[in-house]
Amino acid sequence: MIDVVVVGGGPSGLAAASELGAMGHDVLLLEREDELGGLLNQCIHDGFGTILFSESLSGPEFADIFMNRIERAGVKVRLETYMRSVEKIEDHFVISTVTPEGVETFESRALVYAIGCRERNRFEIEIGGTRPAGVFTAGTVQRLVNLYGFLPGKQPVIVGGGDVGMIVARHLYLEGVESLLMVYPEDFFSGLPRNAQQCVLDLDIPYKPRTTVKRIFGDKKVKAVELVEVDKDWNMIEGTEKIYSCDSVILSVGLVPYSEKVEELGAEIDPATGGPVINEHFETTVDGVFSVGNLIQIFDYVDDAVKSSYTAAEGVDRFLKGSFDKTRSHTVLNPGEHVKTVTPQRIEYEGKDEITLFFRPGVEKENVEVRLLGKNGILKSFKKRYVRPSTLEDIKIPKSVLSGNPEVVIDVR
Amino acid sequence: MSDDKTSLCIRCPKGCRLTLLTGEDIKIKGHQCKIGEEYGKKEAIEPERVVPTTVKILGAKWPRLPVRTEKGVPLDKIEEVIDELRDLEINAPVKKGDIIVKNVADTSVDIISERDMEVKR
Repeated sequence: MIDVVVVGGGPSGLAAASELGAMGHDVLLLEREDELGGLLNQCIHDGFGTILFSESLSGPEFADIFMNRIERAGVKVRLETYMRSVEKIEDHFVISTVTPEGVETFESRALVYAIGCRERNRFEIEIGGTRPAGVFTAGTVQRLVNLYGFLPGKQPVIVGGGDVGMIVARHLYLEGVESLLMVYPEDFFSGLPRNAQQCVLDLDIPYKPRTTVKRIFGDKKVKAVELVEVDKDWNMIEGTEKIYSCDSVILSVGLVPYSEKVEELGAEIDPATGGPVINEHFETTVDGVFSVGNLIQIFDYVDDAVKSSYTAAEGVDRFLKGSFDKTRSHTVLNPGEHVKTVTPQRIEYEGKDEITLFFRPGVEKENVEVRLLGKNGILKSFKKRYVRPSTLEDIKIPKSVLSGNPEVVIDVR
Repeated sequence: MSDDKTSLCIRCPKGCRLTLLTGEDIKIKGHQCKIGEEYGKKEAIEPERVVPTTVKILGAKWPRLPVRTEKGVPLDKIEEVIDELRDLEINAPVKKGDIIVKNVADTSVDIISERDMEVKR
């Protein structure tokens, strides 16, 4: 019996596995690709590690630090191993995997899911028209360009102003595409300002705010798109349609957590995040099953995702040692006005001094007050200079602030 | 008269909106920390960027090797850097941090490998 199986060898899985290995546990890390690193391998730009290491590293450089830690910590790694299903039998887990050698099963006392998310596709945002070749998600393009050296086209249109879209725009521009256009429904790029500056504005890449793609044209290959302007609620404005010639469409339109596997085990899913409900140690509603990284919520910085894996590892450690106080003192955390998501969703255990709460604002506003509201009013409040929906915020509080409150609401005003 | 321009600070994810007042004395507005102020001053005189890209690698697991400038190069040199790397071919194996091109585009900055790349089994 293995102590803990970590599923997924991206940054969050690497961090959780290396931390648990260093604590002396018997850890097995499963990765479906033939190398560790996950998304970091294709994120060749710098900017990783500024919080953890005070250095601006590229994705592969950041991954390298954790691959060395994995080795030093004696974590066992299985590559090209895809987790097919998991069953909870009494107090342990039976994990069935598919490997190049066939089906293989492992047994463990605890499980950590670090399987991340997938990209939203054209059908989920209801882009109409034909179904030609040449429609990609931005992450796929990043992979094709940076690992394989394939360009998706010579005249791409990028839909969405998030970070991956902007970073891909820079790669394509520098690779020398003939034309390039970015469109997005917001007033300004929704990704990090530093990416807007160095990926788009520095290079004078053309962009259209408040615009989206309504239809795609072309039989075998993409020939053109129909652009349309949108209002502030993203409704298409009739009569503003324009045909724009291009040979590929790249979508950077949001991410969806891979929740199916953990849901199959009976874990409760938060409709707001789309990921499993977790407590302050990132344990799901199934005892012994933990979730970390982008499966929980989309982290803006890999450094934050890694830090939360450390918190999860402490929880797994306590679970394995049986030192969790099972008299759970529940506090449920809920989003209030101008807040979209809150994680963790529950505080269940006594005895941890400080916790970090993450929340995604539902509004763009300056000089706001973030309030924690309990049964007798305001428990604590914080000032933030500027919040917006595309930036995940965090607040640190002593756990004692919440005690005695079965429900606490976080709002922004 | 000063020639003002604005720039989003790229030194941390906060991304402060800086105003660069480039008169006789360079003044920065909108920053929230010292790093941002220094970035703004640098940005006003000679903006620099780290350039990440890939080069062709032969005999390795992947056909492309991720590389970057070891530190920032002048903003207006980015395209020259890329052009110099365009037709470059290197052979596996490569170690992380290996110098791939010395003094790229006469910037006195080297191009380094971002990762190890073994010879393909």
